[in-house]
Amino acid sequence: MSKKIYIEGIRNGKRISTQTLLQEIYQALDKGINEIVVDGCGQHDIGGPLWSKDGKPLKFVVKNPGQRVGSMGMQGTTIIVDGPAPADVGWLNAGAEIIVKGDGGDTTAHCAATGKIFIGGRVGTRSGAMMKYDPKFPRPEFWVLKNTGSFSFEFMGGGIAVVCGYDCEEMESVLGYRSCVGMVGGTIYVRGNVKDLSDDVWLMDLTDDDWEFLDKNLPVFLEKIERPGALGKISKRKDWKKIVAKTYEERAHKSFMAINEFRKNKWVEGGIFGDLLYDNYEVAEFVERKDLRLRYPEWLNANYSAPCEYNCPTYIPTQKRISLLRQNKVKEALEMVLDYSPFPASVCGQVCPNLCMDECTRLYVDLPVRIKELGLLSAEIKAKKCETTKDEKVAVIGSGASGLACAYQLRLMGYHVEVFEKDSVLGGKLMQVIPEERLDRKILETEIQRVLDTGVIAHTNVNVDKKKLKELDKEFDAIVLAVGAHNPIVLPVEGSERLVKGLDFLKAINKGEKPKVGKNVVVIGAGNAGMDVVIGAYEMGAEKVVAIDIQKPAAFEKEIEHAKKLGAEILWPCFTEKITDKGVVLKDGTLIPADTVIVSIGDRPDFSMLEREYLDEKGRVLINEYLQSTVNPKIFVPGDAIKLGLFTHALGDGRKVALNIDRMFKGITLSKFEKAPKIPQDKVKNEYYHPMNAQAVSKMQTEDETKRCMSCGFCRDCHFCEEVCPEQAISRIEKSDGNFEYLSDSNKCIGCGICAGVCPCGIWVMRDNIEKYIES
Amino acid sequence: MATVKVNQLAKDDLFWQIDYKHDRCTLCGKCVASCPFQAIEAKVEKRRKVVSEDITPNPKVYFQTIPVIKQVISEYNFCRGCGICEKVCPNDAIKPVRNSDHRFQAKYRATVADPFKRGGRSNLETDGRTLDKIKVGRISQMTDPSLDAQRHTFDMRAPFGRVLAPNEIPLEVDSCGKLVLKNNLPPVRWIYPIIIGDMSIGALSWRMWEALAIATAYLNEEVGIPIRMCSGEGGVPVRLLKSRFLKYIILQIASGHFGWNRIVNAMPHMVEDPAGVLIKIGQGAKPGDGGLLMAKKVAKHIQEIRGVPKADLLSPPNHQGLYSIEESVQKMFLSFNAAFKFRVPVAIKVAASATSVSVYNNLLRDPYNIVGGFFLDGIDGGTGAAHEISLDHTGHPIVSKLRDCYKAALHQGKQGQIPLWAAGGMGKNWNLAADAFKMICLGANGIFTGKLMLQLAGCVGNDMGKCNACNTGLCPVGICTQNPTLVKRLDIDKVAENIVNYFIAVDHELKKLMAPVGNSSLPVGRSDALISTDKSVAERLDINYAC
Repeated sequence: MSKKIYIEGIRNGKRISTQTLLQEIYQALDKGINEIVVDGCGQHDIGGPLWSKDGKPLKFVVKNPGQRVGSMGMQGTTIIVDGPAPADVGWLNAGAEIIVKGDGGDTTAHCAATGKIFIGGRVGTRSGAMMKYDPKFPRPEFWVLKNTGSFSFEFMGGGIAVVCGYDCEEMESVLGYRSCVGMVGGTIYVRGNVKDLSDDVWLMDLTDDDWEFLDKNLPVFLEKIERPGALGKISKRKDWKKIVAKTYEERAHKSFMAINEFRKNKWVEGGIFGDLLYDNYEVAEFVERKDLRLRYPEWLNANYSAPCEYNCPTYIPTQKRISLLRQNKVKEALEMVLDYSPFPASVCGQVCPNLCMDECTRLYVDLPVRIKELGLLSAEIKAKKCETTKDEKVAVIGSGASGLACAYQLRLMGYHVEVFEKDSVLGGKLMQVIPEERLDRKILETEIQRVLDTGVIAHTNVNVDKKKLKELDKEFDAIVLAVGAHNPIVLPVEGSERLVKGLDFLKAINKGEKPKVGKNVVVIGAGNAGMDVVIGAYEMGAEKVVAIDIQKPAAFEKEIEHAKKLGAEILWPCFTEKITDKGVVLKDGTLIPADTVIVSIGDRPDFSMLEREYLDEKGRVLINEYLQSTVNPKIFVPGDAIKLGLFTHALGDGRKVALNIDRMFKGITLSKFEKAPKIPQDKVKNEYYHPMNAQAVSKMQTEDETKRCMSCGFCRDCHFCEEVCPEQAISRIEKSDGNFEYLSDSNKCIGCGICAGVCPCGIWVMRDNIEKYIES
Repeated sequence: MATVKVNQLAKDDLFWQIDYKHDRCTLCGKCVASCPFQAIEAKVEKRRKVVSEDITPNPKVYFQTIPVIKQVISEYNFCRGCGICEKVCPNDAIKPVRNSDHRFQAKYRATVADPFKRGGRSNLETDGRTLDKIKVGRISQMTDPSLDAQRHTFDMRAPFGRVLAPNEIPLEVDSCGKLVLKNNLPPVRWIYPIIIGDMSIGALSWRMWEALAIATAYLNEEVGIPIRMCSGEGGVPVRLLKSRFLKYIILQIASGHFGWNRIVNAMPHMVEDPAGVLIKIGQGAKPGDGGLLMAKKVAKHIQEIRGVPKADLLSPPNHQGLYSIEESVQKMFLSFNAAFKFRVPVAIKVAASATSVSVYNNLLRDPYNIVGGFFLDGIDGGTGAAHEISLDHTGHPIVSKLRDCYKAALHQGKQGQIPLWAAGGMGKNWNLAADAFKMICLGANGIFTGKLMLQLAGCVGNDMGKCNACNTGLCPVGICTQNPTLVKRLDIDKVAENIVNYFIAVDHELKKLMAPVGNSSLPVGRSDALISTDKSVAERLDINYAC
């Protein structure tokens, strides 16, 4: 039995407050009343959340309600608004059935989660926003006869909305504008024009199930709002669409065009730099091969000179000699040096100060490779048999180091060579001047003989003067003036007539003339020749020898040590004032007592065989950079005749002159025979070598220097690069001529430079692609 | 044996020390193959031990020679800390480690007798960024409705061009009683409040520059973000000048005047007007200094476009033949307005300086309506190459200077008439939107950004001396180099994509800041929206102090 009360919103001409009205409703409910008729005056929140104690349904019939009618209404509550209702009808509806016979306001059915809301007119903005569906409760429904305002169904999460578009045929959009923004769930059935929907939803045709639902429920809706007559207008299936939210997957990616596609299809064809440079837009990795490597390796064997080779005036490449030894090609190794010098045992092995050893890389480990000893190993090598294969003939004047070296080289090349020596013996200063103590005569003679064994014809006791030279000029195709320097310089001081010339003194000794010296000897000039004089003086019986010089002695340390060991004293700077019978008086007045004073400050060449035009105003022969006379291209002048030097310089000159004479005969431009640059020290990896103490080194066989030589700039064929290469790009190629090379395959190589970094000899060189491109 | 001497450069002098783990290294060579600086190399090391293993002393020698990777100690091939070695190492065996005890620049100067040069930004950040001490502190709560960043529509456009005051608009009533314009209005482009800015085709590799241009076009045409890119001083490829994409490009003229021959000659073939012209007077990274393009980067196409041979290209520090603000307006503004028949806005960029307000005050008079914008570039700007002394020790922070200029305009009631654009370290904390929003609230119409774009592209450098080798032409990631072997490392599509994505995010983030203050258009000058937790910053900028 339902009990019903009336509540008036206006009493005594005055509106009662929402709170008063609601309190009256609560009291009525407490009394078990379940039907309440409100004749309101804008009082809010009528209809919920309310329930009866006995669970009986509640019914509200309301006129003129305020906002939020039916808000939070619960299941079992029915609210009928007879006429329109302002904003928020059914806000947070939790189950009530709400019927508004007129229009609804803004945000109708806002957040409705269950229950049904029927609107008999239109609704305002944001209606249906944030509707939800809680699966434990019936789906909410929201029915609108006409249309909604803008922003409707924002963030809708569930439930069903039906907008019938009745009488709205002229409208642009029955859902207003920007509808369904952020909608994630639920279904909206809509009839009529729809515009400006958000991107979050799909607008679709109805399925049969959809239509079945509408077909069944539209009459019910119209019944509720008492507009059954409208059915005919809104019951045509084809007028209806439905709106559903995109699924999570559908909305997850906003699909923009790929940049690559944009660049290829929309962007400037071929790229904006396409007319300026070529780019295929391929993307390189940090580590690349071929041309995209930052660097690439090259196996440059013998691209650098080893320090021994570089420093040797005769150009002897000891690193190559040792390489042959290392390959057990002992004979080849010992013969190879003869291609450079006919005197390996005499010069390299004895008199030479061995500039080759001064900068030997092995010094950075322990002691230099014993190249001197290596020279001696070649003493007994026999001469090659040489035939005369060429037409040209060469005369060599002088049989000193440069003359014989030149004659020997020319002979090896197959020329007819004749040597003319003024002295009675061959060998020049080697034979005439160097003390026996420093140079074993037997070895020297063996080596001179080796030169003769090649077929060089030697004439001794021939003085070549102007006349003779003219004869030779006619007879020979080239003339080598290897006349040395045999005119000693004498100091122009008082008493100079007392001076003994050092060169003459040494020559006399070597000829066995035993020149006499007093007890006290002073040698003026402390160069290498001066040291030889000191040795000679002691040999001739001197008791005390003093060598003086105006500057720091130019003699090599070794020579000075030798002289000092004999007891010599070396003084500098000493400036000679005069020579007296007491000795040498220096400019500061000091007297150095001497019975014999020997001067050894240098020698000058004798060019009396040349016409005046061959010489400059100081009497020096006029030559070009190839040691060739600028007056007569047939004449070459090597050795001491040009500049006082070591035997090795003379040997080098002789060889270069020989090679240039050969070129001249063949019509090839002459060469200065410049050496490859000296290898930078850090390219040779001393880290591979175990330092040895000096004693151990001295006990080693000379042949075992192969273990100590670091093979600077010359591949020792150790295969280290081949093994270490991370890409296995390196292979060793045996060539048909018996040589080998290592190659790096650019298809495999990444340009890491490990080959260059570990190469013990400094053969691998990294070339810079970056630099190459920058400069191009 | 290598000798070590007192004055020789040593590993502990260098910025970065290579931390190499020999036991983890397989000598795969990747690190050495990929280091463009040749700062590491393969070498061999000795290992030697003399031990006794008997019960009486009995020396035994163990000797090994081991291939390793070593750091190169050199004034030129020094490690920049780019970390490519670390990236490519499959075994975590190698990486650069910052050396806090370094003294490299001093050693470099003492050895080479030349100023130390590098790229990047100021590396002398001492007390944090001003912008990070500012928060958006005014959130619309109960006072007025805040907006919904995701779903509301926002008008995010800023003016580039001369905006007339309402009373200056040349309106008159015609014979039919309709309002008509008596004269043309000065051109104004309403564009995105962030401009990708001012990096020349010489400074950047062609791929990088083109990627920026592609990203700009894409953002406009595919995403709907009306962003513009400024060409930088160094010319513009003719193909771009003749394309419809020119409308997204702001052409720059700077003191070197590079590239304008081709621009002028392309004019008859232009199908679109450029977005604008920017006269560069100075730049924030190295104010008082002109552009500096090292010869190593002057590749053939650069030579061609710029019309110069291969050489170090030093733009003069000032425009030759400009001696006063008046002359600048006359010569530069007038000429470049006229060049495009007064259809294209022309703005000017200066390095922020103690004098900026005077300059702006002067420009604000603008009786000819030809000054289309005032671009201020602060000390934290980046550059491809500069003397380090300029980078670290010259310049003016942008924030207070921008604020001063805005307030100067406000004082005259002329705010917004000559748009203010600010730069210099924008996005340095990786958030361009936050910086843009704060600068706009302080009075900027928009900001421009450069270095962040490079960092999005793959630049490995940072502002603590990492990499900073843009000047060497050896950029390890192909951004700041013209060397094909290195440029090819850069993926043009990926770079453009990263930039596009970043701006899509920035666009959301800007709205995230506009929504709570309740602005659906840019909140220019809404300093009430900002607070600072630093009292001196608050005082200086005239915003609320909060703690």
